[in-house]
This record gives sequence, structure tokens and C-alpha cells, in this order.
Amino acid sequence: MNGFLWAYDHLGWGIFSVTVFTVLWWLLGDLVWRLKNIGFGRFLAAMFSGWLVGVGLIVLGFFLGSR
Amino acid sequence: MGILVVQALVLLALMVAVGLWLFWFPYPSPLLRRWLPPRKRWPEAQIRGWLKRGRFERAFVRYFCRDPERVPPPGTSLLAPADGLVTGTEERAGIRYLVIALSFWDMHVQRCPLSGKVVSVESRGDDFMDGEGREFAFLREKACPVQKRLVVATEAGQVAVRLITSITARRIETWVREGDQIERGQRIGRILLGSTVVLELPAAAGLLVRKGERVWAGQTPVAQISQTP
Repeated sequence: MNGFLWAYDHLGWGIFSVTVFTVLWWLLGDLVWRLKNIGFGRFLAAMFSGWLVGVGLIVLGFFLGSR
Repeated sequence: MGILVVQALVLLALMVAVGLWLFWFPYPSPLLRRWLPPRKRWPEAQIRGWLKRGRFERAFVRYFCRDPERVPPPGTSLLAPADGLVTGTEERAGIRYLVIALSFWDMHVQRCPLSGKVVSVESRGDDFMDGEGREFAFLREKACPVQKRLVVATEAGQVAVRLITSITARRIETWVREGDQIERGQRIGRILLGSTVVLELPAAAGLLVRKGERVWAGQTPVAQISQTP
């Protein structure tokens, strides 16, 4: 069985990938925020959209891979 | 089980990264600093905090104390004595004062504008708000500037370089002595922390830079004095 949250004796690759991606995305966001002079609202919207796309791709990849 | 250990290690590394981020917030985490330019790597508020406490981060001190080689351009123009921003070109009593303000991120080693012989190295305004210190406070809107004034006799006449710092920083090193023959672009000293360098020229000197321009010590021609026959 290959679950999104748990697989046999380790964390599911789905939740693991989402966690890693979220933390790296957060740190990247901090870097971009310091480097670019953009409005906070625009920045938040861009980061959130990027995060949604990333998580969407991970979830999609997970379910396509485990079919 | 092996996979779980690898996953745990990766998650632990991420937790450390987030912990560092939280610990240093609002300043950049040490993990991200390498990708930031100096002004963003060490924001002014952070440096001011260190200044208050009298303790600085080692990486910043290393950056602050850098002393790169500089190649003076050919010619007889006067070179900028310091890295920084030209904030004034006032003329008073026949002397033109070219004021260069150094930020925390500028290189703080000063260089000689022109070859010549050091006539004097004077310390001024070292302790109290009196005498020359107060007289020249207009240059930087500082109440008690600590100063060193180096007068150099050149072929084009006498020029002087004033190294000014605040009473809180109050450390200026000079590396030349009275009577020394020095070359154009040679290192003459260093100011430690927030500072100003003023180049004193004869009023007749033609300035090659304007207020608001950036200059680099030993590299940027800032003025031209017509040689006396």
C-alpha cells in the first residue's frame, strides 16, 4: 500500500514532498521579499498561487504515480 | 525503516532552517544571506543595534574591513579619497570642500588623491564639542566629529583630506606620517564605522563630480587642478 500520508514504515511521499516544498517555498519567499520591491498584497498573492500550483503538481504526480 | 530515518533527517534539517529563520526575523536568516546584496544582508537597523551593544557579527566585520586593491587611472586628476556618496561641494573662504559620506557598507580604507609629501597629520575634535570639531560640524550635521586631517603638498598645491567619524565610533587609523612621500591612490588610513571624508581643494580646482554621485577611493577622478608652472 502506498498512502499519501503513510506508507508501510515511513511517511507517505505525498505529505513528505508537500512539507519539504512548503518550507523551501517559504524560505524562497523570504528571499524574494527582501530582494524585490513589490507590494505586500501582490507578493502574497504570487507566493500563494505558486504554492498552490506546486502542491497541485505534487498531489497530481502522487496520484498518477500510484495508479 | 531506512527511508523513515532519511525522511526524519530531512525534516530535521528543515526544522533547523525554520528555527533559524524565526530566530533572526526580521533580519535575514544566515542560510539566506549569501544570496542577498550587502545592504540587504545586514540591514541598517541591525547594524545600529550592534553599534549600541558594541558587539558585531564576525561576517559583517570581515566585510567592513575589506581592503581591495585599486588601480589608479592614468593622468593628473585628483582621485576620490574614499568610497561613498558625494554629499557636498561647498566653497568657504577660498577652499572647496568635497564631502563624501560613507555608509556602513562602503569600503572604509582611504586613499591619497594625489602624489605628494605629507605636511601634517592632525587630530581634531577628539573629545569635546569645541574648536575645529564644532566649526566643521556643518559638513555632516554631527555635533562632535572626531577628525584626522592630513595635509599633502602636491605639485598642484596643498590639498587636505579630513577623516571624520562620530563621537560614538571615534576610531580613525592613519597609516602615513609627517614627511612621508606618498603616491596617488596610496592607502592613507581607515575610519572605523559611520563616517565622512572631506577633500579640501583650492577653490580654483575644477570638480569632475557632482553632488549625489558615487565615487570609489583611488579610482574615481574627482577634481583637476591646473599645474603651477
